[in-house]
Amino acid sequence: MSRVLVYSGLLVAAGLVHVAWLARMQISGAIMDPLLPIAVAVGILRGAEYGAAVGLAAGLLQDLLSGGPLGVNGLIKLVIGFASGLFVRSIYIENPLLPAVATFAGTLFGEILLAVVGQVTGLAAEASSVGILRAFAQAALNSAVAPFLFRGVKRIEFRLERPR
Amino acid sequence: MGELLLARRRIAIFLVLFLFVLVLLSSQTRTADRRQVGPVGTALLTALMPLQAGMFRVADAASGVWDTFAEIGRLRVENARLRTQVENLNREVAELREQASSAERLERLLEFRRQLSYRATAARVIGRDASRWFTTLVVDRGSRDGVRRNAAVVTPDGVVGRVIEVTPMASRVLLISDSRSAVGVLIQQSRDAGVVEGVGGFRLHLKYLSRAARINEGDLVVTSGLGGVFPRGLVVGRIANVIREEGELLQEAEVEPAAQLDRLEEMLILLPRQ
Repeated sequence: MSRVLVYSGLLVAAGLVHVAWLARMQISGAIMDPLLPIAVAVGILRGAEYGAAVGLAAGLLQDLLSGGPLGVNGLIKLVIGFASGLFVRSIYIENPLLPAVATFAGTLFGEILLAVVGQVTGLAAEASSVGILRAFAQAALNSAVAPFLFRGVKRIEFRLERPR
Repeated sequence: MGELLLARRRIAIFLVLFLFVLVLLSSQTRTADRRQVGPVGTALLTALMPLQAGMFRVADAASGVWDTFAEIGRLRVENARLRTQVENLNREVAELREQASSAERLERLLEFRRQLSYRATAARVIGRDASRWFTTLVVDRGSRDGVRRNAAVVTPDGVVGRVIEVTPMASRVLLISDSRSAVGVLIQQSRDAGVVEGVGGFRLHLKYLSRAARINEGDLVVTSGLGGVFPRGLVVGRIANVIREEGELLQEAEVEPAAQLDRLEEMLILLPRQ
């Protein structure tokens, strides 16, 4: 239960920071998205199902706060969180580059997925006006913050796992 | 076996979540404005909106402060650039004024030279006597230019002095205001003769004038041509003050030099006839 509360608080804080502050600081049309590296970090540290759950929650929160249709970001982050949990099993988890690389790849994958979802659901106007440059800028921004968020999530997990 | 179960569980969870979000997404796309948050979403938004608004205001304030600092930085840079520009323009204006002033003086000198019936060479002041201020000058013409000792030096305004030293490339000019200088003169109107001597500073003293001579303040004093240094008829100055002592046979006067002896820059040196 405490894990749910802690992650809820973390996601709400990150979501609010995303829409209130980071949305103002665009670089090449890209906005740093701290929710995605969190989903990736949970997937890496806790496994695919947890990554999927946190990714879904993060995406839905983002949809709720951003004013778009509910489910677009939820679907994308669900897939990314799950995939990061699956693929990192074969990689040395203590590699310091892992969070950044996984986030970079996850963001690019998410941008492709966003375009596909946009086309399939007819929400292209809202969801998929993403250029290649913007996708790479987005990936670079997200992967820049990923190591710090990964460390934060790791610390949370350490505290939650610690026997009382 | 356990691993397989775990994998199946993992896939099952993912599929359930995936299905949930697909249903949610498809339900959204069917609505008119493609967004329906429902009661849970509304409750969440009700709780989060004040926080979001507060954070937005904080960002607004920070952005305002940042904008102010950025503006100050921009203004500083622009101010420095404009200051440099003003300095450059001022320097340019000063140079142009100097050139214009110099051109005007040279034009007058040239005109004066045309009027003179003597050969003359234009000279520029390149040094002043530091030990005895403004009583001798060094000019940039010398024997190579035909300058000889005792050559008369004049400006369009009047007599300046005479050459006392000559080197190949420069000469020293003794001003008429120097106490060693004496010039034979005439009062232009009355034609009375006298001698103008320097008394230091920039004043001249007219001596050896007959008591019978009729002179008034403002009368023009010109060279008499006697003494062989200054040609006849060059303007020396104007009578500033007449001095008549009781019982004296002669009268004297103070003369205001016609040439601006303290502001000399260019002048003509009269050359000997060939």
